[in-house]
Amino acid sequence: MSAGEDRPGPVQVPPDVAAAAPALPAESSVQPRSTRPLGEAWIGGVCAGLAEHLGWSVLVVRVIFVIAAALGLAGVALYLALWLVMPQQAGQRSAPGLEAGARTGLRPGAAATLTPVDYGVASALVLLGGGLFWLLQSSAWALPAAPLLAGALAAAGLGMIWWQADRASTRELRRGSGWRRVIAPLLVHWTTVVAVVLGLAALAAAVTVVVTTVDGIGELPRMLLLLALAVAALALAALPWFLRVRRALARARDDALVADARADMAAHLHDSVLQTLALIQRQASDPKAVTALARRQERELRQWLYGESLGSATLAEALSGEIIDVEDRHGVDVELVSVGDCELTPEVTALVRAAREAMVNAAKHSGADRIDVYAEVDPELVSVYVRDRGNGFDLAAVEEDRMGVRGSIVERVKRAGGRAIIRTAPGEGTEVRLELPR
Amino acid sequence: MSETETERATPAAWRVVVVDDHAMFRSGVKHDIGGRVQLVGEGEDVPTAVAAILAAVPDVVLLDVHLPGGGGMEVIKQVGALEPGVKFLALSVSDAAEDVIGVIRAGARGYVTKSISADELVEAIGRVATGDAVFSPRLAGFVLDAFSGAIDVASIDEDLDRLSVREREVLRLIARGYAYKEVARELFISIKTVETHVSSVLRKLQLSNRHQLTRWATDRKLV
Repeated sequence: MSAGEDRPGPVQVPPDVAAAAPALPAESSVQPRSTRPLGEAWIGGVCAGLAEHLGWSVLVVRVIFVIAAALGLAGVALYLALWLVMPQQAGQRSAPGLEAGARTGLRPGAAATLTPVDYGVASALVLLGGGLFWLLQSSAWALPAAPLLAGALAAAGLGMIWWQADRASTRELRRGSGWRRVIAPLLVHWTTVVAVVLGLAALAAAVTVVVTTVDGIGELPRMLLLLALAVAALALAALPWFLRVRRALARARDDALVADARADMAAHLHDSVLQTLALIQRQASDPKAVTALARRQERELRQWLYGESLGSATLAEALSGEIIDVEDRHGVDVELVSVGDCELTPEVTALVRAAREAMVNAAKHSGADRIDVYAEVDPELVSVYVRDRGNGFDLAAVEEDRMGVRGSIVERVKRAGGRAIIRTAPGEGTEVRLELPR
Repeated sequence: MSETETERATPAAWRVVVVDDHAMFRSGVKHDIGGRVQLVGEGEDVPTAVAAILAAVPDVVLLDVHLPGGGGMEVIKQVGALEPGVKFLALSVSDAAEDVIGVIRAGARGYVTKSISADELVEAIGRVATGDAVFSPRLAGFVLDAFSGAIDVASIDEDLDRLSVREREVLRLIARGYAYKEVARELFISIKTVETHVSSVLRKLQLSNRHQLTRWATDRKLV
């Protein structure tokens, strides 16, 4: 909030607080890698993640994978490889006040979007894959049965184990102590145990199929092959856990950094609150000053806690910056409601300046103690309304000598390609309507 | 609520319960409007609020959006099952759009900010008590914003697309800071018609399908 720093005022916002707070959510939302959204997953979420990344329909991606899977299990292998490479989608961070509220039960926790499996589509896909596979197998390019069987078993086994690995939460594993730490999660997650056992059995079967169908090698090489395959299968099965531990460590490091940054910010904010309280005590006899101080402090806290940004990159941000300034200088209440938002182009900046002039006029001349500002951005039009319920004035009579209205509102908006409409009458209050086509 | 039928003529007798986790705010409300409404109970978290409301069966509950024990939504859900006649007016300083819309969708009949003046608050209580909806400029803005798709509220779906042109006009004027009677004058309609439009927006907000889905998922602990 550049407007906050250069303004003379009793309470200075530490600039790094204002700058750092809105940056947090933005940072985590820029993720170059594609992730697997488990909420939308049917198996591992690979298709959903790819679809999101490529901007395609998830059904298209799924069909492609099913067709590829029928072609000698190529799609299955690709799917498993991507499953390993793509990390799980992490939850978004929100503003600290909201996170704390959710954690302490002050507000309902963020509802995860959970897309249930559409069984109609799923069975259609299975039929498609099965049909293609059958067609291929009955043609000249049919693959031999043994490798196919081994591949299918291995894929099913790995899929089952990894599926569980995705869903077992690490938090549960930290509970308890001693041998209970090992046993308790197994009892709670008996489905995990069953899936892992089944998965390992499938892997073992796959290894056995490969080993028994390889011809023309001696007994010793056969044993060595068995051993190598078994080790490889176990390593593959354990890979997700290994990767997850690594990611958990990285995440813990990030969390610690964020916690430090937030503690610093909290300290800054507390300092500024203490300062405000001291100032309020000193100026207790001047209700207007006290209100202004309290309002300003409230705004800072709310901005930080609830992520209401006060930068100056968009229309709404620029307007709220101007509003703070007008409130501080003129001791009025300005309520901003904005619907939609847009970039701050030079034309929009002119609109904001004109809106500011309208607010200042209302604060100075209307006698009203409250001003309503409404900004709306729709695809065709940016409009800002500044309204007070004060004295109003006779537009025709005053317009000549009031340079403020003509020069800084009407003309300025006209130069920017928009128009300003002023509705007022003595005793009726004033509404300035600023419009700018996009 | 037939027992309050006689009191309806005298708004001073609205029976009100104040629910907020800050004692300072509760006593502030008592001081501001205590003379004009009948304060019959208060609560500081979900269990005490539910107990107080069920004991007093007030006309209107002033309900904080953020509350220990699951938030204002939880109070509305628990009371709504037992005393569907009690009406809720949400009150908040923290205006996360999804929380406000969440509490409205749970059944609150209006939303005002804590900076509201005592007169406006008394008027809002009366409006809610007589079955109308109270939309502050901010709530109107949230609803319009959700409609335009700028806020990512998981709960908004095509039901909102059925807001009529008139309803949108009314909401837009409210967002611009117009009081109901000013909206009525602006659009050449009666105040009653404005109230009807606002109530109908509220109903549409509350009754969209997505909500049933959310509740279904919550009941089954899927979320």
